[in-house]
Amino acid sequence: MQRKKNKAAQFLSLPALILYGVFFVYPLLRGIGMSLTNWDGMGQATFIGLKNYFDFFSDKRALHDIQTTVIFAVGSAVLLNIVGLLYALLMNTEFKGKSIARVIIYLPAIISPLIMGYIWYFLLQPKRGYLYYACMQLGLPDLIGNWMSSYHSALAVLIVVNVWQFAGMTMIIYLAGLKAIAKDYTEAAAIDGATKWQLFFRITLPLLMPAIRINVVTNIIGSLSVFDVIMSLTEGGPGYATESLSIYIMRMCYGSRTGYSTAVAMILFVIILIPVLISMRLTRQKG
Amino acid sequence: MGKKKFLAVLLTAALGMSTLAGCGATDTSTSGEAPDTNTVTEAATPAASEAEAADSTEKENKAVDLTFFTGKVETVDLLNQIISDYNQQSGGITVEQEYQADASNIIKIKFASGESPDLMTTYEQEYVNQGKYLDLSDRNEWWDRLIPSMKESCTDLESGKQYRVCTNMTMAGFFYNKEMFDELGLKVATTWPEFEANLEAIKEAHPDVDPWFIFGEAWHLGHLIEFMPHGYIKAKYGATEAKKAMLSNDSAKLDWGNPDGAMATFAKNLVELQKKGLINEDVLTATSDNCIDAFVTGKCAMFSNGMWCLSDLLTKNPDMADKIGFAPYPAFMEDGVPVVLVAEDSGYSISAETEHVDEVVDFLNFLFSAENQKKYAETLGSPSAFKDVDASWAPDSIVSGVNDAVASATNIGFTNEKPAGFSGDDAGRLVQDLLAGTYSPEEFAKAYEEAWNAGYTN
Repeated sequence: MQRKKNKAAQFLSLPALILYGVFFVYPLLRGIGMSLTNWDGMGQATFIGLKNYFDFFSDKRALHDIQTTVIFAVGSAVLLNIVGLLYALLMNTEFKGKSIARVIIYLPAIISPLIMGYIWYFLLQPKRGYLYYACMQLGLPDLIGNWMSSYHSALAVLIVVNVWQFAGMTMIIYLAGLKAIAKDYTEAAAIDGATKWQLFFRITLPLLMPAIRINVVTNIIGSLSVFDVIMSLTEGGPGYATESLSIYIMRMCYGSRTGYSTAVAMILFVIILIPVLISMRLTRQKG
Repeated sequence: MGKKKFLAVLLTAALGMSTLAGCGATDTSTSGEAPDTNTVTEAATPAASEAEAADSTEKENKAVDLTFFTGKVETVDLLNQIISDYNQQSGGITVEQEYQADASNIIKIKFASGESPDLMTTYEQEYVNQGKYLDLSDRNEWWDRLIPSMKESCTDLESGKQYRVCTNMTMAGFFYNKEMFDELGLKVATTWPEFEANLEAIKEAHPDVDPWFIFGEAWHLGHLIEFMPHGYIKAKYGATEAKKAMLSNDSAKLDWGNPDGAMATFAKNLVELQKKGLINEDVLTATSDNCIDAFVTGKCAMFSNGMWCLSDLLTKNPDMADKIGFAPYPAFMEDGVPVVLVAEDSGYSISAETEHVDEVVDFLNFLFSAENQKKYAETLGSPSAFKDVDASWAPDSIVSGVNDAVASATNIGFTNEKPAGFSGDDAGRLVQDLLAGTYSPEEFAKAYEEAWNAGYTN
């Protein structure tokens, strides 16, 4: 009976395995093979060993893009978790209009990041954007600066837009975590004289650790492969200042360096694998 | 339990079948490609189907589907009309137009996947070198009608052969507000000091007007390099020698990195104008639409662009027709001369892999007819390259202004011979860095030279 059940399970998992093989394993193996060639996207590919990988580490633009991508990912993850947690704490209290507020906070997450980038572009355009005109009406025309014209401010804008868009998703996970905390703990601590801060830092926060782990890891993974919001908001500019590694891969691929771009994609894959492995390890420890 | 298992197996089978169904071949076209949302299709009309039915046997034998790939959004509607007319009388040949905004990249995927369109407007030296286009050198029925300079522009320098036919010409220079120039008594500048003096006079008389509006899109900033420092090289050495220098990366002639050379001088001039407030403050974030809006509302006095923006200007403000002036780029080097771009436009290339050469040629003969080309030139706002086409492509005042500018300056073409790994957009991004203050003019020239050289080796 058990053997029959196992066979049925194996049979039922076949479609998923086929899809996984066709859409993940095969492209991955082809990608590894391609990354060892100098293929330009059209002509004959010649095997060049690990040259593309060595070239990457002397490619100033690529290294700058890694820096930009990591700053974006870490900055986004930190802010997303702080803002998401604050939203969740707010939504865990009772107030009038809570349902509407929750929808409003979550709403940006269902809009395409590409569209979101364009919306913010037209909001933030200096001297022409909607926020500029709004500030002008308030007598504060200098409040909106030329933020997308320099590396640091453009990167900050990108992080803020990303946080504004996805804080709602982070909030939902935290809210689920907060709902799962039994009231007995906080009530017992309150009876023992714990202050609100002590309740939060000694009881709530430690019990939210699984939610924090999920949020931090998913935010970092998502942000490391960021592409669309940057393309629509700054196009990686000025120059290549805010170019992410994903955008660099696309540009190299279309710039007659398809083999090299595949090698960079493999490196990005390894970079993303790091938080994934950390997450798996943490989860296993917990188990 | 048994029922549940049966249901699970049934659902799994259904899922598997539906997945595999997606992999099934279609027989709707010769390429087997399903139309996507970006595809603009013009198929045969019912009337055409009826006409075909009249002599069905002959038509069935001739039935051919041709794919025409373009990235020129401004011509899609007009070409759909022409294609529809053609399909109705073609005797079984059906042309299907596919427009893609990112055509220059998508064509690469099509080439790589062996799905080359039969006919295309995308053209790159790289593809010529790889033998992707059909040799059209012996098509004298077209070349005999073409203005000789346009035939020369269509000629591949390395092989001396023609792999595309360009039906139109385009010009690029400075569009300026004639009314404002007349009001301030300004004349078109031929040297950089005159140009700067004009901008200063405009700024002084109209502080709320941007004397020169530059928008931050990479292609536009790349065009400034194309028309000014590259223009200087093309004017200095002549079209053919300049092309050869670029093909062979002749550093003695190009000399991009020289701190006193054309590239550094161009950068120095641009930064100086930026510091003096003679270009718009939001240069890095402004769009081409912002530029058009600023010009038609009198908020900017001049901007650099090609004739392709003319229809937008006149659509947004038809009253501008008499106020639009057109001027060459002033000489910005001591030994330089004013230049204006006069280049080929709307080029058509036939795939070397097509099995339907005669049918594609038949369609092109229809498209290149004087009647269709007149319609095309007038809709596009671009003069025809055919000698036998008499088209009113713009209001008379603009046409005469453009003719004067073209006659008064050295005519240059586009740089098709730049290194494959260094695009016009890449050049524009370096200008973004310059305007963002990342580079000094000398560093900019050096960075340009490095990127240019790397474009040959990458």
